[in-house]
Amino acid sequence: MPVYSISHVENVRVCVVMVGLPARGKSLIAQKIVRYLSWLSINSKCFNVGSYRREIATDTVVDAEFFDPKNEVGMNYRQEAITRATTDMMKWFSDDNGVVGILDATNSTRDRRDKILKLCRENSIEPMFLESFCDDQDLIMQNILDVKTTSPDYLNRNNEFAAEDFLKRIKFYEQVYETMDQKADADLTFIKLVNVNSQIILNRIESYLESRIVYYVMNLHIKPRSIWLSRHGESEYNLTGQIGGDSNLSERGWRYAKRLPELVLKSLGEENKHTNLTVWTSTLKRTQQTSSFLPYKRKLQWKALDELDAGECDGMTYEEIEKTFPEDFKARDDDKYEYRYRGGESYRDIVIRLEPIIMELERQENILIITHQAVLRCLYAYFMNVPQEESPWMSIPLHTLIKLEPRAYSTLVSRIKADIPAVSTYKEKGTSQLGELETGTASKSRDLIRDSELAK
Amino acid sequence: MSDNAIHSDDESELFNGFGSAPISRTASQRRTTKRWSFHNNDKPNLVDMDSDIAQLHRRLSDITGEDGVHKDASSSVIGGGQLYSTESGRLFHAGKICIALAGLPGRGKTHLSVSLTRYLRWLGVKTHSFHLGNYRRASAEDDVTHDLFVPSPNSKRANEIRNKIVDECLNDMLNFFKNDKGQVAIYDAVNALPEYRLALQKKFTDMNIQVLFIESLVTDDAIIMKNMEEAARSSPDYVNWDYDKAYKDYSGRINALAPYYQNMGEKDATLSYIKFINFGERIELHNSNYGYLINKVVFYLMNSRIKSGSVFFARCYKNSLDYTKDPPLDDAGKKYAFNLTKSLIEHVKKNGRSYFQDEEDKENPDLARLRPAVLKRQLSVDERQPAAGVDGIDQDSLVVWTSVKQRTIETTQYFADRNVKIRHRIQLSQKNPGVVANMTEDEVSAKYPDEYEQYIKDPYHYRFSRAESYHDLAIKIEPLILEMERMSGDILIIADDTILKVFYGYLMSCICYDIPYLNFPTDDIIEIKFNAYSNTAERIPIKDYTA
Repeated sequence: MPVYSISHVENVRVCVVMVGLPARGKSLIAQKIVRYLSWLSINSKCFNVGSYRREIATDTVVDAEFFDPKNEVGMNYRQEAITRATTDMMKWFSDDNGVVGILDATNSTRDRRDKILKLCRENSIEPMFLESFCDDQDLIMQNILDVKTTSPDYLNRNNEFAAEDFLKRIKFYEQVYETMDQKADADLTFIKLVNVNSQIILNRIESYLESRIVYYVMNLHIKPRSIWLSRHGESEYNLTGQIGGDSNLSERGWRYAKRLPELVLKSLGEENKHTNLTVWTSTLKRTQQTSSFLPYKRKLQWKALDELDAGECDGMTYEEIEKTFPEDFKARDDDKYEYRYRGGESYRDIVIRLEPIIMELERQENILIITHQAVLRCLYAYFMNVPQEESPWMSIPLHTLIKLEPRAYSTLVSRIKADIPAVSTYKEKGTSQLGELETGTASKSRDLIRDSELAK
Repeated sequence: MSDNAIHSDDESELFNGFGSAPISRTASQRRTTKRWSFHNNDKPNLVDMDSDIAQLHRRLSDITGEDGVHKDASSSVIGGGQLYSTESGRLFHAGKICIALAGLPGRGKTHLSVSLTRYLRWLGVKTHSFHLGNYRRASAEDDVTHDLFVPSPNSKRANEIRNKIVDECLNDMLNFFKNDKGQVAIYDAVNALPEYRLALQKKFTDMNIQVLFIESLVTDDAIIMKNMEEAARSSPDYVNWDYDKAYKDYSGRINALAPYYQNMGEKDATLSYIKFINFGERIELHNSNYGYLINKVVFYLMNSRIKSGSVFFARCYKNSLDYTKDPPLDDAGKKYAFNLTKSLIEHVKKNGRSYFQDEEDKENPDLARLRPAVLKRQLSVDERQPAAGVDGIDQDSLVVWTSVKQRTIETTQYFADRNVKIRHRIQLSQKNPGVVANMTEDEVSAKYPDEYEQYIKDPYHYRFSRAESYHDLAIKIEPLILEMERMSGDILIIADDTILKVFYGYLMSCICYDIPYLNFPTDDIIEIKFNAYSNTAERIPIKDYTA
């Protein structure tokens, strides 16, 4: 579906106000909305009230007591934080042409929400409240485990303290929590997600962009899961430097395919070795061959995961392209994201056709995707919030298994390299030669080989 | 929803390669087939085909007024906005789905089922709406009373007729799934009781078909009144009826049914259902672990409104100009713009619209200030703010959409002078012709014989070098289509005919092969009117007001 751009109407502004107790996945949802919209080239930003509070409340101890509604010092800081966050957001709307701003806080009382509502309306914006309501204890506990390991509030604290303190903090919020109500809030625009998505209430959604955000959120879940990404094993075309095509794996490619089940097990770890993955491949032979030794029953082929269609250049080497279509070759280097091969596709075209994949991926749990360089770059860019002008230049080497673990505040990435050599298919800007140069831009900014990193 | 059902359908889709193109095993291993090929040769051969699809260069007049939304969804038909195709005919690993409506008469169920069918077909999902009312009309005798409509009729005869009608309709639905590669069947009936709904659910899930209920509830009496008036005027049940009599009969029918109808709730706890309240003011989803396709349905519901306005299409003057050039309008173009504006004003005034200011009003600033178009209200913070940048909330309003090219901007000048909102959208720029720009068809076939041959086979999807295809346009305008669905007022789209063809294709449910051959003349405005059952298209001649 859509979107070259969400249809451009003058002055579109959407202010999303999160609502819900701590550990209900609010930050995760907020971050994901921002990432998704940025991926679609829509200017969006999240304003996390917690980080404002951490910035100003430096002279006091922030533990559970801080969040006691009777704690005046705490209340003052928290009020100050929300005022600063909303002021910044309004400034961002007007100065930076912000389109979708998200206020990430608990906003758990009607009184607080009324104040935000008035402030938004003073700026001629009708906010959209997004409540994550959850009384499923298992889900909450999972979230607590996640938050206490990644929340900036519990840096350098031991896990036991963090869990206990956090539970206590939630208790304080529960004392004053007022959920969104169909009758009392009938006049407001709001979305209420009950126990993730088992029940959803949508009230007065009034613009296309709002509906687009809701549609995305409906596809989300907050259960912990992982996504594994791999390119197909080295193919015969990779050996000859030809692009596209539908060739078989090379001898080394087959070796990677045989090694892959072992790599997946290693990545799962001993305790999760019985986890059942679903494998997605493209419809091209090299990805299916790569998946052929995996023991998992559910393997789906998606047309949308096929490699970027190089049109008339399909089956050519970069040198041949440079010779045959010198202007195109340069045009592509100048704007690789927008460039569309003669009779083929651009990176932007891939992003459009990947939309159903992204939605389905959000709905699923543990998925292993075996696909192609350009498609992987787009998928990776979505999960890691890589800007458009950089994503087509990322280096994603062959014979490497990438694991992504989406978390509330970031996505964890880890990689396992199979010890099987393969050619490099990376092409630097301005040359038709393959391989990463020592001085190349890619090896500096977007090297994906490091063993583990915490990406923002 | 049964996991089993989903799984088994995944298998069948998988078996068919999920839209995979036939892969050529030639020595060169080049991928010689494009995204738009089928495994088998299911796609019609347009050149040799002796059907109406093959009539090249059909004029719009041939199809004006004919909404394709009720035509059979033949397995070879591809929707305009379809992203890929599969041999099984089913998409998104979503399996087979029955969307069953529920709700009293006058709650817009027919409108909902038809417009949903239109949207899903556009996405390429094989969809058909089955209106129980049509079956009733076809089989029931004239002397039936409201008794036929209530869940448990008193008379034995009414009961028998009722059961027969329902069986026929369900039978057709099952056939649609089994024999026509159908994916979504929309069952438009009252489905008043939980027992009915549970039985329906069981019947379909036993056959690996998922069931989703959409219950349309209306709490706003004004909406019901409006729907009743509409039904009395245009329902097939009241053809040749006196309006007052029809209205009375229809309200009698609603009153007869109302005591029986049970809202979906606790008794339906095991079902997947959506409550659609006051046409989208509130939407509640229950047991909503749905797939991509059903989430798209909800997405559509969020944007769906009962439309009362029209969509007008007008070409911009001289769109045969070079794609890369952007000249201003010449004198003839200005004349065209003036006549277009005048013709439209005359037409909409005849139809009771009041959004155009009269010339005299403009002279009188006091009067002008009172008109809604220029009325600037200062809203207090206790009131809802109008959604930012949202047009067409008022039924009596007009918005003009056009591209960002200079000549189209100037074409809208006379509308702008009359305080009509003009929106410039990049998506409305003409189709990029690529390397074949400014060439006649003969020149193209001489210079690019191979490409031309492919183009002729599938002019909708074929993309010349550096060019866009109609299909590219269809994907690009999807946000505009949904925005159009949300707007209650009139919309005028002034654009190149390549763009108009695609919009027309959506609104009139054209199969994609027809779209490139639609022909929009420059001396007409085309008006599409929305109706609950089918849309209609009419011509409005552009008269010369300068003489």
